[in-house]
Amino acid sequence: MIDNQSHFEKLYREFHVLVFNVALNYLQNTEDAEEVTQDVFVKIHNSLDNFNQKSSYKTWIYRITINQCLDFLKQKNSQKRFFIFGKKSQNEQEYLNTTTFEHPGIVLERQEDAKILFEVINTLTENQKTAFLLSKLDGLSNPEIAEIMQLSISSVESLVFRAKTTLKEKLADKFSNYRKK
Amino acid sequence: MEKENWIEKILNSTDGMTQVIPSDDLFLKIQQKTNKQNKVSEKTVWLVAASIAVLVLLNFTVLLTKTKESKTTTTVYFENTLNKSNQLYQ
Repeated sequence: MIDNQSHFEKLYREFHVLVFNVALNYLQNTEDAEEVTQDVFVKIHNSLDNFNQKSSYKTWIYRITINQCLDFLKQKNSQKRFFIFGKKSQNEQEYLNTTTFEHPGIVLERQEDAKILFEVINTLTENQKTAFLLSKLDGLSNPEIAEIMQLSISSVESLVFRAKTTLKEKLADKFSNYRKK
Repeated sequence: MEKENWIEKILNSTDGMTQVIPSDDLFLKIQQKTNKQNKVSEKTVWLVAASIAVLVLLNFTVLLTKTKESKTTTTVYFENTLNKSNQLYQ
């Protein structure tokens, strides 16, 4: 029991910043990211005994974090749906209000540009968004992302490629608005 | 060209992004959550104990009544049969 607790504390020290930053990039809200980080570590604490050594702790923790973020967004979106028979959006992230979010890790001069980028990232599909964030912001390689997302490497390559293409298309649309300003 | 440059500028806006450190009390909050899950409330403990006590008492009472009943039945049976069989003069 004591061994388990010290093991948990060691995992927390090693991965809490990673979990918090993945959640922050995904949810774009500091309070939400903290809440998800807490839930992730509670899950880790509860399932530490059942952890099979098939994957590394890092991969396992990444997987829990992403799933927790997706669950959090689904829960948040369902709360925002006013009627039980209300039309469900194809993209769960559509409801996210990101226009006011300023990422604390981004330098001041780039804050406005990053806001536009996050706004467009939120229009991507779940898998495209996950693959893009892990690749671009976490700097993970395609095989690492494939292991986390439990997909083939070629699928991840395709997801990242399609995400970039979609982002470029949507940014091109936004460019006309930018010029009008 | 201006459009492509602008798109590239937006796409590269997260370059050089630094990691954000969560608040110091985060671990404390997590510990509170995990302790809450592990700890069973005193009320529940007493409720379970009381239920077990009532169950034992009920079993004991039923057992006692049954034994008494069976003893009485046996005695009555004996009395009846004895009266009949030991009646030497009719």
